[in-house]
Amino acid sequence: MESQSPEPPADGSAPQPIAGSPSDFLKNIVGKRVKVRIGGGVDYHGLLTCLDGYMNVALEDTEEWAAGRMTGQFGDCFLRGNNVLYISALEDL
Amino acid sequence: MDHAAAAQISEPLDLVKLALGERVFIKLRGDRTLTGTLHAYDAHMNLVMSQVEESVHIVDVTDAGQPLPPRVERRNVEMLFVRGDSVILISPAQQ
Amino acid sequence: MLIFSFFKTLTDQVITVELKNDLSITGTLKSVDQFLNIRLDGISVEDPERHPHMMAVRNCFIRGSVVRYVRMAAKNVDTTLLEDATRREIKDAKK
Repeated sequence: MESQSPEPPADGSAPQPIAGSPSDFLKNIVGKRVKVRIGGGVDYHGLLTCLDGYMNVALEDTEEWAAGRMTGQFGDCFLRGNNVLYISALEDL
Repeated sequence: MDHAAAAQISEPLDLVKLALGERVFIKLRGDRTLTGTLHAYDAHMNLVMSQVEESVHIVDVTDAGQPLPPRVERRNVEMLFVRGDSVILISPAQQ
Repeated sequence: MLIFSFFKTLTDQVITVELKNDLSITGTLKSVDQFLNIRLDGISVEDPERHPHMMAVRNCFIRGSVVRYVRMAAKNVDTTLLEDATRREIKDAKK
């Protein structure tokens, strides 16, 4: 069967993780302003301090947005990973 | 937050560690929020808290299906265990 | 493990378990396991009108995953010990 994946490098070196992969993205957005959407259509905008493999997230200077209105503010906040639908960058990477 | 404190945070759980023994604000599933003093937690975000005020945010609906203005039911609990799977957000309580 | 040990210290004390379906059951904690399943003895429910079937039951087993809260008396909990045990568990987990 024909493989759809890219050919391994011709020089035989170990294949590099594809630039633009999900884990690449997560590495690049640490320290940036992000939007984290959780279930129920609530968003958290803040500076991404760090995240882990469960998608637990720590944010600084966080604003909570729901239904187009800011509904809360937190200096620091921890979001439990299972609630996270997506993380999107609010500034250029 | 100052940068000295930021330097201590290398994973999200460190933020919860810094809140041990402090007043925290918790957002739970089912439109519930808690404020209380955090005494214990684990990797599931199971929590043990004291001096807790729970607020349940309720929107009643009329017989015709019209939503009434939201209301809040509050109650106090002196010592409370919270199961981690209900937890959405943990934040040091703003004074 | 930390929270499991915490519940073991509450054995034979009266606690109130609030379930995710809003049913609250008060009783004596007879045993707990690693999943935080709970066995209660001599139980009563907060609102027997709403849960008449519970009147006939003397003791019960509660699956850990359906628990929202467990409420308990503050005098039965050493909060300093809990905070120290939590810090110790975090340190051990990082090794």
